[in-house]
Amino acid sequence: MALIAVIDDDPDILEASTLILEANGYQVITANNPTTGYDVVKEKNPDLIILDVMMDEADDGFFLAQKFKKEMAKIPILMYTSISKTIGMQFGANELVPVDDFVEKPISSEELIQKVKSLLN
Amino acid sequence: MDNNYPKILLVEDEKGLRIGTERLLTRKGHSVKSAENGTDGIKLGLAEDFDIALIDYKMPDVDGLQVLKEIKSKKPSTVCFIVTAYASYETAIEATRLGAFNYILKPFTPEELLHQIEKGFKQRKLLLEAEQLRIEREKNLLEIAHEKSRLNTIIESISSGVLLINREGKVVYFNKACLNKLHLEKLEIEDYILDKLPIQITELVNKIFNNHTVHKSYTTEVEIIPNGELIIDATCSPVPHPDGTFAGVVVVLKNITGLKKIEQLKSQFVSMVAHEMKTPLAAVLGYLDILVDPNMNVTQEKRTEYLNRSALRLKSSLDLVNDLLDISRMEMSTKKREIENIRINEIINNSLDVLELEINKKSLTIEKKYVENLPELKIDRDEVTKIINNLISNAVKYNNVNGKITISLNIENNFIILIVEDTGIGINADDQAKLFQQFFRAKNKQTRAISGTGLGLSIAKKLIEANHGKISVESVYKQGTKFIVHFPFK
Repeated sequence: MALIAVIDDDPDILEASTLILEANGYQVITANNPTTGYDVVKEKNPDLIILDVMMDEADDGFFLAQKFKKEMAKIPILMYTSISKTIGMQFGANELVPVDDFVEKPISSEELIQKVKSLLN
Repeated sequence: MDNNYPKILLVEDEKGLRIGTERLLTRKGHSVKSAENGTDGIKLGLAEDFDIALIDYKMPDVDGLQVLKEIKSKKPSTVCFIVTAYASYETAIEATRLGAFNYILKPFTPEELLHQIEKGFKQRKLLLEAEQLRIEREKNLLEIAHEKSRLNTIIESISSGVLLINREGKVVYFNKACLNKLHLEKLEIEDYILDKLPIQITELVNKIFNNHTVHKSYTTEVEIIPNGELIIDATCSPVPHPDGTFAGVVVVLKNITGLKKIEQLKSQFVSMVAHEMKTPLAAVLGYLDILVDPNMNVTQEKRTEYLNRSALRLKSSLDLVNDLLDISRMEMSTKKREIENIRINEIINNSLDVLELEINKKSLTIEKKYVENLPELKIDRDEVTKIINNLISNAVKYNNVNGKITISLNIENNFIILIVEDTGIGINADDQAKLFQQFFRAKNKQTRAISGTGLGLSIAKKLIEANHGKISVESVYKQGTKFIVHFPFK
């Protein structure tokens, strides 16, 4: 079964995401900050990374995504964002940030699972 | 000047004639002063303002023509007669050239003399009138010159740039402010300007040139120095000739960099608020999605936990809304401040009562160090309550279990000094600098689990400053933080 790493500084989002992903048969590892996030990914080599933009800590999410793409290019990255709509900025895949897809928070369980499935294939 | 009787200077060396003439004129009501030689004649003629001077041609010291010349050079409107027995063509010409009005031949009859004086007095009046007109005209010219330089001074002094361009696109006038608004080193009158102006302004100027409309103005915003360092607002208006035909364009340049910055801060604030609002809502929606999904296998225990977490997150959203309302109330000054006499220690006790549950949860010790005879504060009760609640609840929130909060009140000059000190997680130096900024929250392992809107301290600071006080912070990372507030009590 696929292993998914979820990195988000919001404990409730981590909890909800884990529950949804596990209910759909995925294995989940989590981290609530970029540093442990990086370590966990390095160590466990997951099949997919779900990464929060983490706007509060200036560009941490983007920075981490770049690092993953450089060092572990084959792992797809799904980025959680809660800002694109509010600041009127729509990211496209691979544009600006080297990630494979974006999901806008709040995210419904169906949408999350659908995106996860398509990225894992 | 007496309008009917002239003031007369008589310069005559011959004593009999002098006294006779003087007597005759005085009897007729004229005022007469006499000099018995040329030197005295010059002295007197220059010292006073005579209507008429009767000057003898032949005198032993200085001759009459010399006296005439001296008087005319300094008193051009004194009407002078040369009185002589030795009339000749040459002396007549010379006397006229030097400004004599007429000749009086000796011997003369009283009638002749009075007739001449009457004519001379008329001339004197005309001369004075002309002189008056000349003075007035000069004064007017001076006023016009003043007016022009005053206008120049005004245009030079205004902080906006003013640039006048004629129909050939050449600079006709500009003030100094133009140069810095356009970021130009120099500009000369008659320079062709259209290729030096930013394209947006040139377009507007050309638009006016092409339309020759005399009424319509156009405005544009131009970034002169990149990265928003200098942004100007340029208004181009047509300038008509006095007859209404098109003469050129005046461009007024205003620096709007500051306004633009505020605008930018505002939209930044809005996007931050939106983000801050959305984060807890996203979390709650995430939980609800799970709770309503029949396929999700969630234990009853977990359900309760998610509902509690959701309530907590919504509460933080509500706190944020309340803080925002406080800010907007402060900024719009919709709430009238009700100043009353407040005992600050009562406000502190109320605040501690409200926070009792949290204080007990963390087993915090509270120490109060108050000086005696504290004066009352003249302040709005709601405002001071908000300030103190914020400081004490921070001291609770960011404290460690079994920590301590020390609240002290002192007097210094006209200030009551409130110090709220905790033994909590502390704030590092970088974060201290940003502490009072809106939405700033120090992010580290310790603060991650503590909820906050990032607005509390910025609100407290605004309220304190609105009450003429000040707030500062001292903190040692991992040891504790101390907020010092000065409240004026006079």
